[in-house]
Amino acid sequence: MANLSQTMTVPGQQDTPPEKAAIEVANLSHIYAGAQGAVPALEDISMSVGSGRFVVIVGPSGCGKTSLLMMLAGLRAQSQGTILCHGRPISNPDPQRVGVIFQEASLYPWLTALDNIEFPLSLRGAPRDERRRRAQAMLILVGLEGFGERYPHELSGGMKQRVSIARGLVQDPPVLLMDEPFAALDEQTRMTMGHELLRIWSKTSKTVVFITHSLTEAVFLADEVLVMSARPGRIIDRIAVTLTRPRTYEMMATDAFGQLRERIWHQIRKAD
Amino acid sequence: MRPRALPAPAKVRWAMLVTLLLAWELVPRTGLIPELLLPALSSTLKVLYQDSHIYWAALLVTLYEVALAMLIACGGGIITGAVVGGIARLRDLLLPVFSSLYAVPMVILYPVFTAWFGIGSESKIAFAGIYAFFPVMLSTAAGIRTIDPQFILAARSMGATLTQQVTRVIIPASLPAVFAGLRLGGALAIIGVVVSEMLTAAAGIGYLVTLNRTILDSARVFAALLMILVLSVAYYMLARAIERRVVVWQSVGRAPKAAQAEGGPGVPVAAAA
Repeated sequence: MANLSQTMTVPGQQDTPPEKAAIEVANLSHIYAGAQGAVPALEDISMSVGSGRFVVIVGPSGCGKTSLLMMLAGLRAQSQGTILCHGRPISNPDPQRVGVIFQEASLYPWLTALDNIEFPLSLRGAPRDERRRRAQAMLILVGLEGFGERYPHELSGGMKQRVSIARGLVQDPPVLLMDEPFAALDEQTRMTMGHELLRIWSKTSKTVVFITHSLTEAVFLADEVLVMSARPGRIIDRIAVTLTRPRTYEMMATDAFGQLRERIWHQIRKAD
Repeated sequence: MRPRALPAPAKVRWAMLVTLLLAWELVPRTGLIPELLLPALSSTLKVLYQDSHIYWAALLVTLYEVALAMLIACGGGIITGAVVGGIARLRDLLLPVFSSLYAVPMVILYPVFTAWFGIGSESKIAFAGIYAFFPVMLSTAAGIRTIDPQFILAARSMGATLTQQVTRVIIPASLPAVFAGLRLGGALAIIGVVVSEMLTAAAGIGYLVTLNRTILDSARVFAALLMILVLSVAYYMLARAIERRVVVWQSVGRAPKAAQAEGGPGVPVAAAA
């Protein structure tokens, strides 16, 4: 639907041919067994996320964005349809292929920042030196060098999310799913974290699927914005964000930015 | 007029303790309260010293009973609490029952226990063990039930097996509640043992209280009370110390807000990149 290839220049990323999709969702539907009977939550969702792309999903509250992401992560089963990640179906969590970063930092308060980042490595019994080395590298990548021995409660909201991102990246999965990771942060921290995320992303060439409520954040981060309707959630629009990269704060003041934002807002209002 | 800084709470607490001890010594000496009702601190300490072999023997009996009662209460309480709190069906079925049982004055069971187990240590251990069991069990169940589901979701997303979810997430996450339960449970085990010794016994510190009260030997009653007091406070401080060491992230939780000051939007290192 959206043809973006001519405008996208992503530093540190190779231009990937569009047919090489990291995530392919076909005819996915989901029905909950609610208290008052079956509730259709997601309806006939089909989408394809190219390898190395940054795709943002927006939509009204309760439209099933998070459910969709949980399904992409293999954390929840869908009623119908298929999800392929690099050609293979997703049915269980597979941290080697897909990393997930949650709304609240969801760091373990009994572990230091470094131990939190090491956690997924220790789950699969990686040797101690390797764990330390990789976690330390991630800590530097997210700009928290020297904070490794702190406990989560000793870190600010933004720093916690940096640790959370580091934890999601430490197993080096090609796909990163992010469920409103910056929602709990104040506006200023949120913009800084968005900028940071783009910096990290440009260094790691991951495929990112990112959920947010913030339209500014959506336009600022995305290669492509998917707009979902109110329940049952469907994808009602795909908007290519043709701003150049690297993105800068100044771009937010441009007409192009404003128009994109306006278009998404219009779609969401229609959807609600 | 500059407001004077309040003295540190620790200093105030020590001052209160010293005042209390001084009053304990001075009030009976001045005759305000007869020594029969309140023997002076020095008289109490004197009989404690004179009869130290008796009090030591009694303390050992009490400690032995308390230790076994705690073992029953903590072991049983943690296991039952984990099972009841962890399995939704059992929780809905049993938790209301346990919660309401907690409100029953357990001491009414003690006569039954003496009939079953005799007046030796066994009846004290059984009674105090059950008495202390409930808070440990309820606290553990609550601790497991209130674990942030996000913790488990995150662990699953990182590929944790079911066993790993239990050992690496559920157990550490419920530790603070479990420890709170243990602290309370241990204190109740001490109470349970002492009370049952006071009711029917042939040994232990509680027994010494009752025995000396019946012969109006106030100094010896107070010597026994003093020992119980020291025992309880020592237990509480020990429990807190262990808790602080094990549940690091909770005990330091309140203090440092340093991160807020320098964290903010951007850490300098990152901004440069």
